[in-house]
Amino acid sequence: MIKRLLALDGVLAVCQFRDDGEFVEGYGLMPEDEMIRLSKFAHDYKRMVQGNTDQLSMFTQMPGWTPPRGWIVHGQEKSVLSIANLVCLIENQGASVSEVMQELDRLAHR
Amino acid sequence: MADLDKLMNLDGAIAAFQYGDGGKLIDSRVVDQGPLDENMLDLLCHMCAANTCIATMQARGWESVTGNSGFYPVEGFSLIGFNWSVVTHAQYGVVVRNDEVDYESAYQAVSGQAMA
Amino acid sequence: MSIVSELVSMPGVIAAGEYAYRGDRFSYKGDLEPEQARMASIMCRSTTMGIRMQSDMLGSIYPDCGISPSRGWAVKGPKFSVCVVANVFCFLSAEAPFNDIMQFMTTRLHDDISDMV
Repeated sequence: MIKRLLALDGVLAVCQFRDDGEFVEGYGLMPEDEMIRLSKFAHDYKRMVQGNTDQLSMFTQMPGWTPPRGWIVHGQEKSVLSIANLVCLIENQGASVSEVMQELDRLAHR
Repeated sequence: MADLDKLMNLDGAIAAFQYGDGGKLIDSRVVDQGPLDENMLDLLCHMCAANTCIATMQARGWESVTGNSGFYPVEGFSLIGFNWSVVTHAQYGVVVRNDEVDYESAYQAVSGQAMA
Repeated sequence: MSIVSELVSMPGVIAAGEYAYRGDRFSYKGDLEPEQARMASIMCRSTTMGIRMQSDMLGSIYPDCGISPSRGWAVKGPKFSVCVVANVFCFLSAEAPFNDIMQFMTTRLHDDISDMV
């Protein structure tokens, strides 16, 4: 099902991982060992972002941040987008961040 | 119109900010009677700076291991919170309601801001 | 005697506690308000996860670097320090014997490289 994300412009790879970080499946223009690394990175970064968001909520007492739904890291030519246990690698030129995020959100909560 | 004022024109924007090295808040705008004040924004900026630094380290590591470039230097970080999202580029950012957010427009606006 | 009880009996130790790697559970002993202890456990867990990830990444690039998996961390301020090994945290005053406490924690928690992280 997540494979359909590859149909969107600029999407290079999409992966799904379990709550413990284990790679579930991945599709795209990269070897499987790199997809496994991408999943590991996304899992680790997700937990770190969660930890930092918990602290933000704790210090500001502002509701509405936690639990975080996802994150985006914008690189110079490529970006990584994640919602729940899905992660997507895109090329900045040609991809629509909003479109990919919408599709990730839809797939993550179907 | 000031730069941050332009960011406040984005749909759903509740705050816009500029921060310095390490995350210290330099300048900001918030909507009247909104949920954020300056102290909260200062912490939010520090969190964005921390997450950007970690992502930068990871981009460096990723490029070193895989040989795939294009991530470093990390230029922006966005957090999609439960109700709010924050979108940053370099040292500018905007906080937007999730039900109105357009990540692309927000990122273009903050990155245009950063390059101005 | 639990490691937390032993730590709080040491000179200069303000408080010590344990947190779950997942979820909000924590316990502590010492001179901290419950809300302060809750905040401390959240901060310590978050930092532990970040450092764990960073050392794993370094380990994947340089497998023999000797730092992965990470076992703990410490941060030192002008008046207080925080030491964390595995899922045990400890708040120290400047007078505390830092080396002895770190040595004690790393020895007692030597085998506690948890898969729960």
